[in-house]
Amino acid sequence: MAALLSLDLLRAGYGPIDALHDVSIQVSEGEIVALIGANGAGKTTTLMSISGVVKARSGTVSFDGRDITRMPAHEIVKLGLAQSPEGRKIFPRLTVLENLQMGAFTRSDRDGVATDLEKAFVMFPILRERKNQPGGLLSGGQQQMLAIARALMARPKLLMLDEPSLGLAPQIVVQIFDVVKELNKTGMSVLLVEQNARMALKVAHRGYVLETGRVTMADEAQKLLHDPRVRAAYLGE
Amino acid sequence: MKSNFPSWSVVLFAALVLYPLFPAFDQHFFNVTSRSLGVELPGLFLFAILALALNVVVGYTGLLHLGIAAFFGIGAYTVGILTAPINPFGISFWAALLVATVVATLAGLLLGAPALRLRGDYLALVTLGFGEVVRFTIKNLPAITEGPKGVSPLPAPVLPGVTVDWNTDYRPFYYLALAALALTFYFLYRLERSKLGRAWVAIREDELAASCMGLNTSRLKLAAFAVTAGIAGFAGGIYATKMTSTVGPEAYDFNKSIFVLCCLILGGLGSRSGVLLGVFLLYGFDYILSPIIDGFIQASGLGQGKIWQQFSGWRLIVFGLVLIVVMRVRPQGLLPNDRVEEELRHAPPATGV
Repeated sequence: MAALLSLDLLRAGYGPIDALHDVSIQVSEGEIVALIGANGAGKTTTLMSISGVVKARSGTVSFDGRDITRMPAHEIVKLGLAQSPEGRKIFPRLTVLENLQMGAFTRSDRDGVATDLEKAFVMFPILRERKNQPGGLLSGGQQQMLAIARALMARPKLLMLDEPSLGLAPQIVVQIFDVVKELNKTGMSVLLVEQNARMALKVAHRGYVLETGRVTMADEAQKLLHDPRVRAAYLGE
Repeated sequence: MKSNFPSWSVVLFAALVLYPLFPAFDQHFFNVTSRSLGVELPGLFLFAILALALNVVVGYTGLLHLGIAAFFGIGAYTVGILTAPINPFGISFWAALLVATVVATLAGLLLGAPALRLRGDYLALVTLGFGEVVRFTIKNLPAITEGPKGVSPLPAPVLPGVTVDWNTDYRPFYYLALAALALTFYFLYRLERSKLGRAWVAIREDELAASCMGLNTSRLKLAAFAVTAGIAGFAGGIYATKMTSTVGPEAYDFNKSIFVLCCLILGGLGSRSGVLLGVFLLYGFDYILSPIIDGFIQASGLGQGKIWQQFSGWRLIVFGLVLIVVMRVRPQGLLPNDRVEEELRHAPPATGV
């Protein structure tokens, strides 16, 4: 299967410090791939360098057959790579509707945007109910839904989710992961970054374990879920 | 947050249009000073345009800009140099005003392109520096700018088919400045509700999230700089012709930039109506109320030779006190933008990357 997204020996960091050392990751079309690891392992940096917000120091990122390593962030979104960032990062003073419109910022097909907006409201009815309220007034779970819906408004080929379970009640986490599974059934490829390794590996097809900026394990999600080292380090057993 | 075009602004505009039609009113209430209110208002209108311009960068986009006066000056000198009879250009005021707007916009791009690589305080310092550089350039290029004394005299605008007395009657400039203000106000009203306007607010709220959404943040910030500079240059061009002179480099100094910023902060960052109120209060206090109070004190014969005989001599104390009180009691400004008000009340929890 051709890889939709492929990171090859990616090195990136901040100031004098390299946060990623030769990270190689692939996501194929239609796949959910989980990237798990502890705090500070480089998960978010990986996503940020895919998005072009953090610049790679060496190595390559290719997406949909194109080298996007040096591409500016706004052009990468146009290619069909959208992200729901860590901590949700919705625009708290823009309304829910305006938040969603910001997600479609790079698009100029008005009809398509209207269709996708309707889809988002069908997927998350609460967002329709509250569409004229400032995003900051939503609950944490609703904000996460908004962040996912906003990313989907870019009509991406690959959706990247950074810690969608962060700070949410277990029940809401289940709901969010159900949405991820549903999206995947419609053909959406997903790169899922999570500290909640158990939830992430349950929905994912494959997984990578990141430790201090290096990929230390890569396997099918089910195998990782039963791997004794993963169980000891990330599943608390 | 959709709202219809504010009806109060239509009422205010109508009142301002009607005001000069009642000259008795103007003379009756303000004959305590040598100049009438009608003479002072055009200056206030132009200042309001300048404040609305600064609001684009500072209020909408959330970048601190301390050099707005430079662009006002660039507009004023462009019109001055192009229209003054001492120069060979002899371009009409209207064409020169258009050129001034374009030149100031380009100057804004020129400053913004390198400066916007900086963030926060560093950006503010560069804009401050730019303001001073422009002032000193004007001062030290007498071959073009006439140095400290300014380009003068400047001819009055020519309206085809109409003869108006621009020199002794205040009304032509009153209507010109009012029309320019109304145009700016409407332009910004539309801009605020456009995709561009929303993008600026998104950048102010969370620049990282905005770039994750595919917003080209550097280009959008540059656009804000250019719009601010262009409108400021537009106001400057009218100002120079109204004064029949570019006045001189000191009219575009750092104090003016800070004064405009104070109007924004007092009225409410990001809120067009707040900005107008801020200008009305501060400019009105400084240029209209202070002279009136001076007139009253002198006419009453009180305090001959005392320090407080000249109220305008210590108006800056009042000015400073008011600003301190506003900052303490109402940091969001008098007529805040509802979004900015929220921002100050509930700062969002910081989240790491």
